[in-house]
This record gives sequence, structure tokens and C-alpha cells, in this order.
Amino acid sequence: MENKVSRRDFLRLSAVGLGASVLSGCSNGLLGDDLFRTKFQEMSPNQVKEVLKRLEEKYSGKYGTQFSVTATPAKENVLFGYGLDLSRCIGCRRCVHACVKENNPSRETQIQWIRDLRMKKGVLDLEKAEHYYSPEQVPEEGHYYIPVQCQQCENPPCVKVCPVKATWKEPDGIVVVDYDWCIGCRTCMAACPYRARKFNWKEPVIPKDEINPQTHYLGNRPRMRGVVEKCTFCIQRTREGRYPACVEACPVGARKFGNLLDPKSEIRYVIENFRVFRLKEELNTEPKFYYFFSMGA
Amino acid sequence: MAVTAFQEIILFLRGLSRVVFVGSKAFYGWMSFLTIFVLLGVWAYLFQWREGLYVTNMRDQVSWGFYISNFTFLVGVAAAAVLLIIPAYLYSFKAIKKIVVFGEFLAVSAILAALLFIGADFGRPERFWHAIPGLGTLNFPSSVLAWDMIVLNGYLCLNLFISLYVGYYHYYGKEPKKAILLPFILLSIPWAAGLHTVTAFVYNGLAARPFWNASILAPRFLASAFCSGPALMIIIFQVLRKLTDFRIENKAIAKLAEMIAYAMAINLFLLGAEIFKEYYSDTHHLSPLRYLYQGLHGHNRLVPWIWTATAFNIIAFLLFLTPRTRNNLLTLNIGCALVFIGVWIEKGMGLIIPGFIPDTLGEIYEYMPSRFEVMISAGIWSFGAMLYTMFVRAAIALDTGRLRHPDAPPVVHEEEKGPRARDIMSTRVIAVRPETSIEEVSKLLVSHRISGLPVVDGDGKIIGVLSESDIIFREIHHEPHLVEKLGDMVLPRNLRASDRTGSTAGEIMTSPPLTAQEETPLKELVQIITERKIKRIVVVDKDARPVGVVSRIDIVKALEHISA
Repeated sequence: MENKVSRRDFLRLSAVGLGASVLSGCSNGLLGDDLFRTKFQEMSPNQVKEVLKRLEEKYSGKYGTQFSVTATPAKENVLFGYGLDLSRCIGCRRCVHACVKENNPSRETQIQWIRDLRMKKGVLDLEKAEHYYSPEQVPEEGHYYIPVQCQQCENPPCVKVCPVKATWKEPDGIVVVDYDWCIGCRTCMAACPYRARKFNWKEPVIPKDEINPQTHYLGNRPRMRGVVEKCTFCIQRTREGRYPACVEACPVGARKFGNLLDPKSEIRYVIENFRVFRLKEELNTEPKFYYFFSMGA
Repeated sequence: MAVTAFQEIILFLRGLSRVVFVGSKAFYGWMSFLTIFVLLGVWAYLFQWREGLYVTNMRDQVSWGFYISNFTFLVGVAAAAVLLIIPAYLYSFKAIKKIVVFGEFLAVSAILAALLFIGADFGRPERFWHAIPGLGTLNFPSSVLAWDMIVLNGYLCLNLFISLYVGYYHYYGKEPKKAILLPFILLSIPWAAGLHTVTAFVYNGLAARPFWNASILAPRFLASAFCSGPALMIIIFQVLRKLTDFRIENKAIAKLAEMIAYAMAINLFLLGAEIFKEYYSDTHHLSPLRYLYQGLHGHNRLVPWIWTATAFNIIAFLLFLTPRTRNNLLTLNIGCALVFIGVWIEKGMGLIIPGFIPDTLGEIYEYMPSRFEVMISAGIWSFGAMLYTMFVRAAIALDTGRLRHPDAPPVVHEEEKGPRARDIMSTRVIAVRPETSIEEVSKLLVSHRISGLPVVDGDGKIIGVLSESDIIFREIHHEPHLVEKLGDMVLPRNLRASDRTGSTAGEIMTSPPLTAQEETPLKELVQIITERKIKRIVVVDKDARPVGVVSRIDIVKALEHISA
């Protein structure tokens, strides 16, 4: 029955009525219209449809272009994995820019889901990394580069600490955030060993001509002030069978992507044929992000 | 029935608002001072609400700052209520027992302020209901923050219940029922320790942050909380003692100071253990500690802060350790201020910020709170202080009896315990009716070897007292020189001017009579008898029927008994 009202919904409705009458006077525009709603994971298929439709209308109006907001679920027998060939990466940051273009982060606060670190050859100490390198030309003599983004841990410390279950690991291994459920406490940011999570310190700003209208509810749909966001392996692309934007953008083919459960996938080839390592493996986070060297320096 | 309950509540609220909101100029000045900061804080918060947390200096590198620092410190202050409860109820240390309720109100105020700091830190505070079980989806038991929310709100309820329960009984002039109160008090002791432990675990459980990911964190949290909370209490008690009619013994304050010394010793020891471990093993885990105490790669903004805190804590420890400086109010207060500031730095900025420096990818972003963070924090602190001021005023009024139900029995203070009229009076009462002749009365006085007796009406209610003085006065009142001579020796002052003649007890007795209740303390009896120059006082029951007489000799016997 679609119209059945559960106990939780009833409680919520009563609270909504009370809260709405108190807040409606002062909340116009500040709280948004998504204040009292159901958590994404608990929505019925019909509710999801309704929410997606409402979001499409809202974003289309705001950005003056036809939006698509999907909620394509994970496919069975898929566990996404990523490979990054440190011997090929030249630190050009094309992945960073492709990611920004694809995923609609705020341009004003310059949120970037990928961070490229410049390292001196012979050193793997992150404390000695240069985050803000900006040479005329890459690669630079005597250096190599480590791009870092969400490692999509199988044992994600960020998910464990969230007080309201606003972030979780999907069946295909992608760690996602429900932006409409996140309370902005930032405990997940403190818990993440890879600095993969970014916070919207102010209302995101994206110029109309830079917006990507092809979005996923748990991925690159526009976010709001005060919530956390992160790399989703381009969930809006990869669940449709495409590569993540960063993989496509890499000019040297350093980025590999595929289904860890498929023995014939690219990522399985990488794991089986090269010596791979994962960042901070001692923390037992079990990243699905494998760094490797395909060739000598 | 409902109407009566409603009227009772109105009566209580009127009494409450009288004792809470009406006060001296100093009180209004203090409240206005706090109000200014609260309003500034509200203004700053509205700005933050509109612009987002961008107005703070927090960024992705250092994603928690001044708000969470103050939150952590305040949780410690709140946990200090236990320190007052343990000795009061486990060892029934009476001097401290009296002040437990102030500790509990401090806990309540501190928790409320701590919750406000959490609210100020949230990116979407209006979604707080996502954490309410039943409405939202509290991530229990997986998230330590979920535990912390439960423990914090539970502690708030527990302390509110205990203090309201005690207050309610005081209001009606009754002793709180131990069987109901004691289980809650006993529960609040481990709960307070648990509260602070769980708060420590929020940070402690994050393997990504080696500075927090050390098992010594929770013990250090507790040790430093046992310093800052009581230090604040000591200062508050002295302010109360000075500004109000509330009495707190010096020995209670000295006891608290002694406890701070022990807690500080443990705190410093644990700090030393941590410093040794990190510096001697000299791994990457040392970086945050090195940033804090020495600076890292040329970044050293927290260094002056932490050394100030360390120096303050050590000086305060020495002041509290030495009995001479512990018992001297000046050095004691200096020590308290030092501890409070020292722990505020160490447990606040000194704990939270180095957790993020260097960040998990090795970057160093130096953090100091922004103007907005300082203003909002000052506002929350002021709100907490306002709340506490009002709580304390209500608690004092309840304790001293100024806020009390009209039908409640009068307040009995600890110091006034001891013998009462009931305990020392002679219960052999000989009374006469008003129509009894003077001759008969004289015979009674002589045969029973007494100097006076009560005169009662037909219901046995006292209407006057007839003493030998009255009889002597009757004989001599027409001879002024005799009155003059005997006056100071035997006659009560109020009698001398009058002109009473007659032949019955009713005509010459002293009326209305001076009486005492069975509950009247010895001290008060002595006062009445010496001030009014009488030789005995008749003790009456509720219906004004004489039940005993306390004579001067009874008082002398009682005093002798006490001094022996």
C-alpha cells in the first residue's frame, strides 16, 4: 500500500506540523523546501520518483537548462575498483579539472574532489608533499605525483562515525552521501584518513554555463550550504557503464577502472600483473583504490 | 483538584520569578552585561546562518575549531558535578552535601551551553531531528557521536531531575525521599564518568588522527575535568558567599582544592607519559605534538598558548598541593583561575586543533578562531552564565527558605540543631483560671516552689502569665520609691508603667503572654529570657495549650550539659 502511514512517518508528520508552523515564518529561502522529508534509503520507489522529479524542476529552473536527476541503483555482481599508475602520472591535474566539470562542485570555494600531491623522488612521506605546485611545465625533474581522492574503502571509517546514517557504502562499493540528510557535523571529515571529504562552507556557486545537467541523486546533483560531499567514482556515469570523468581525461592513461568481481576487467588485470599498494593500509580501511607502477622511472 | 494544582503552580512560578528576576543593582548589572554578549552572539550567529560556516576560520584541513573546543571543555565542567556527589553521598561529608545542588545546576548549565556549541558547529542545525530516534535515523551503536548525544541528553535529564526533585521537596519544607533520590544520584556518578569518556572516544576512535588515537586520551579527559570543574565551583561559591545570604563553610572549599591538587597531579603525570612516548619513539605521530609544543616546519601559532596552559597548570598544582597556599583565599583563587584557563586551553584549542595539524595529507593549515567564532562563543558562554545565575538564585532561595510554599514548616538550619524547648522544659505545668484569687495563687507558688504560672481559659488555652513579680507589683505599686528600688531587680520593664489592681489572677496577670513553641531552639530561648527580663517562659502546643515551662534553671542545666 502506497498510502500507508508508518509509525515513524506519523511521528515525523506531527513533528513536521509543529516545526513547520514555527519555522515557516522565518525560513523562506534559508531552510529550503527539503527540510521535512524522508531519508533517501527509506523512500518507496514512488517517493523516489517524486523527489527526483521535484529536484529536476528545481535545478532546471535555477540553472536555466533541462536537468536529469537519476537514482540508478547498483548492478548485481559489481564492485568498483580503481587503479592509478604512479609511473605514468605527470601531475597535469587534467583529472582534477575534468572532475570539477563533471561533478558540479562549488566554483567559488573551489571544491575539488581530487588532490594531486607533488613528491620528491625517493620520498613517500605525505608530510613532505607539495599541495600547491604550479610550474610552467609538468612533469618536473626529480619529482613524481600522487593524486588522492576518495579511496572508496571497503571498511570506511567515515560511514561508521556518521551520527545520522547520512553516508553509506552502496552495494557496488561506492561510498555516497545523502546531501538532504547530512547535518553537517563533519565527523566524517575528521575520520577520513585521505582528506576525501569536502564541506560546503558557504552556498555553492556554479555558473550556468558550467553546470552539468546529467546528474545522479547520490552523486553530482547540485549541493547546498553546510553539507559534506565527496568523489563517487562518477556514480552517474559508471552505473550507466561509462568511465569516470578522471579516467577519460587522463592524457597518459595512468587511470584504470573496472569491476573487481569481473576477472576480465582492467582493474583485475592491473592487480594481477603489477605490484599494487594502497594508501595507509595499516589503518585497515581496505581501500578499493590501487596505486601501482607499470614501468621503471 | 486540577484548579488547585494549577494555582499551586502559579503560586510557585510567582515566587520563583520574584527570587530569580528581582535583585540588587549588581545583579541587574551582571545580567545586562551578559545580555549584551548574548545579543552580540545571536547577531553573529544570524550572520553565520545566512553566510554559512565560511565566516569561521575552519576549512577542510581543520574542520573542527573553536566551537568543538569549547564543547569539549564544557562537557568536562559538567562532569565535575560527580566530584561533589561522590564525597557527599558515599562518605556523607556534610559540608559538601549542602553544595551538591549547585554542582548539579552547573552541570545542567554547562551541558546546555555545550549543546549550543554543537548547534553552532553544525552545517545544517535545522536537521538536528535526523538524530532523534523514531523521527530520524540515529546511527546507534555504530557512531560514537550517537552515543555521545544519548549520554549528553541523558546526563542533562538526570541532573535536571535530581535538582528539581530536591528543589520541590525544599519548596514544601520536606526532606527528599532517600529511596527515590539515592538510586538516581548513584546512577549519575558513573554516568558523569561515562559522559566524559564517551566524549573522549568521539576523538579517540579516529585512527586517521594519531594525536587523538591514543588510549591515554579518555583518562586525561577525566583528570583535567576533575581540575577545571571544581576550580570553577570554588570561585562561584565565594561569589555566592559574598553576594548572597548563602552560607558555605571554608572547610568545604579547602576540601575541593585538595581534590584539585590530586586530579592535577594525575593530569600532569598522564601528560608527561604521553610526551615521553611520542618524543622518545619519535615517529610520525609526534608531528601534532611537536606542532603544539614547538611548532612544525615554521608554523607555531599554538605554541605560546600551550606553554601558557602548561605553566598555569603547574603553578596551580603547586598552590593546591601546599596546605598554606591552599587555605589562603587569595592564593587559592589565583590557583583556581590558573587551572580554569589552563585546562580551557589544554582541553580546548590544545586538544582539537593539533588533531588536524598536519592534516591527513600532510598539509599544515594554521587555525585561529575568526571574529564570528569568538562572538558566537562569547554569546554561548554568557547564556550559560545567565542560566546558571538564575538557577543559583532559585536554589539559594529554596535553601534559605525565601522561596517556600506558604504552608511549609519553617526552615531549620544545620547550625540551629541542638536542644529545643521540648528537650529541656519541665512538663509539670500548674495552671490557674482567671477567676482564681491572688491568695490561692500565692499558695500554689510557694507550695510548688515556682515563680510563676500560666493562666488558661475554659478550653485550656493560655491567656496570660502570672508571676511573683505581678503579685509584688500589686502590693507596692502605690509606693513609687519601692517600685523604683525593686524595679530593675525583679520587675519586667513593661509592667512597671502600668497600674493594675484587683484580687483575681485575671486582673493582674501579664497578657498577652510571652510563649515559646516546642520546636524553639535553646539559643532563641536564651535570647527571649535575657532580653525581656523574665524568669520563665511557657511552652505551648499548636492550640496554645501550655505543655511545659522553661525556667532559667532549666536553661542553665542545658547549657552546662552542652559544654560538658
